[in-house]
Amino acid sequence: MKSRRVGITTTVPVEVIYAAGCIPVDLNNVFITDPNPGGLVEEAELAGYPRNVCAWIKGLYSTVLRHRDIRTLVAVTQGDCSNTHALMETLELIGVEVIPFAYPFDRDRDLLALQIEKLMDRFGVDWAAVNRARGRLDQIRRKVWEIDRLTWQENLVGGWDNHLFQVNCSDFKGDPDAFEREVDDFLARLKGAEPRREKIRLAYIGVPPIMDDLYDYLEERGARVVYNETQRQFTLPFETGDLVERYRLYSYPYGIFYRLEDITREVERRRVHGVIHYAQSFCFRQIEDLIVRQRLKLPILTLEGDKPNRLDARTRMRLDAFIEMLQ
Amino acid sequence: MYCGIDLGSRNVKIALMDEEGRLEFFKFDTIAFYREHGRLEEGQLAVDLSALLPAGTKPRAVVSTGYGRQTVALKGARVIPEIKAHVLGAVHLTGLSDFTLLDLGGQDSKVALVRGGRLMDFQTNDKCAASTGRYLENMAAVLNISLDELSRHHQNPVDLSSTCAIFGETELIGKVLEGHPIGSLAAGVNYTIFKRIRPMLMRLFSDTLVFTGGVAQNAALREILAKELGVRVVVPENPQYTGAVGCCVEAKMGSEK
Repeated sequence: MKSRRVGITTTVPVEVIYAAGCIPVDLNNVFITDPNPGGLVEEAELAGYPRNVCAWIKGLYSTVLRHRDIRTLVAVTQGDCSNTHALMETLELIGVEVIPFAYPFDRDRDLLALQIEKLMDRFGVDWAAVNRARGRLDQIRRKVWEIDRLTWQENLVGGWDNHLFQVNCSDFKGDPDAFEREVDDFLARLKGAEPRREKIRLAYIGVPPIMDDLYDYLEERGARVVYNETQRQFTLPFETGDLVERYRLYSYPYGIFYRLEDITREVERRRVHGVIHYAQSFCFRQIEDLIVRQRLKLPILTLEGDKPNRLDARTRMRLDAFIEMLQ
Repeated sequence: MYCGIDLGSRNVKIALMDEEGRLEFFKFDTIAFYREHGRLEEGQLAVDLSALLPAGTKPRAVVSTGYGRQTVALKGARVIPEIKAHVLGAVHLTGLSDFTLLDLGGQDSKVALVRGGRLMDFQTNDKCAASTGRYLENMAAVLNISLDELSRHHQNPVDLSSTCAIFGETELIGKVLEGHPIGSLAAGVNYTIFKRIRPMLMRLFSDTLVFTGGVAQNAALREILAKELGVRVVVPENPQYTGAVGCCVEAKMGSEK
């Protein structure tokens, strides 16, 4: 192990990293909360990353370059994005230790168990330690599930807070105790709060947005996101104690048809009026939009995001028209 | 009297509609309009309409739309989304209620599915002006012909890709050097527009296509659309004022509530 702080390119079984006494760092969150994420994208382009490649990958590359204390990286080689392969190689070039992790495309239990066990070997931990870590993290996850429930069932939480608390469950901000206190404070503040009044209920599906003003913009216009698909998945919202099963039920790394089972169930349960399908510019997931449109029987707006981190005029115009259409 | 303003990327279009529905149109260059007639007051764009419109024009209501709405709200005007304005205008001008709307403007292309006079679904171009008026202007300049001349040709098109407006120019110059006649070159340009918007039109297909925006004045493109898609193509008079007319319709409806 080169460093105690371990970068992750997307959600992986962080129980393993915590069990080893290391600190997982979701590089996506570090990149997008940087004071100048656009500058990080430019830095990667100066290094030679092409202009027409996903901005997230470029942001991740520059983030690792900047954070000299992250010399170990768990990279998801299957189930997220094939650009990660080149990211791994360009980081190996500068001496970062890269540990690959692959979600099997067909959700095969044996293959997934093997991947998790190989990760445990790399970190030198056993099942007892991993399950202890799971028990601790599940206490926090349950509280974040409650934030999600209060979003759609009690109408007490806005789309941004729903997004933020759930997205942070990928690494628990590297400090589960401190993160839990944040969650507790937030839940305490909701006690006795007035239900929100937005008339239009939206689902947000796809990877988290690269622009951080989307939720506020929608709410200013009377539409609230009551379901963030991928962010919710980052909280592993499944009651089973079996860790392998947990990461099998987790939908993000698997095919669109399995994801659609979850999406269909949730949009119905949450009484959603319309769906925003977000895909990153240059991402293979843009192709899947045609499947989403055939399978979901709700109005869909396909949003494309490229650079961080504000909505551009065109996207705002399209959001306006979509909200207008749903009224 | 109702006033509709469409703050477009190339031109600001203003329509006035009287109680009987009679229309009058005015057009200004966008940059000149902002520079000469606009001033910022409390974060809103204030425009002195009386200097722009015939003397004594006192609209009962003003509704605006367009790109400008993203950055500045027009003082004293209610703002509606662009796509809504175009649908309202198209329904009003054609008397149709079930159609696919194709609006090709200065920098944008929009396709909307209209059923029972209501917007059901829509798509817009991605971030590139390769299917718009700006693109046609550039291509006419490359060929050293007028937009009118460019709009006459749809036979024997040269093959140009439709990926990017700037690459399109480079490709076109290559075709000029190969010695193709001007008619084929112009037809090729018109066909790239069709190729670019075809996926959107197929996704939101109707037997009737209402074609609006400045590019709807391109006769060759109207021919290509009708021939290739096998649909009826309806172009309202003064198609570039459709959004402004939609704003008038909205202003009138708002006043009657």
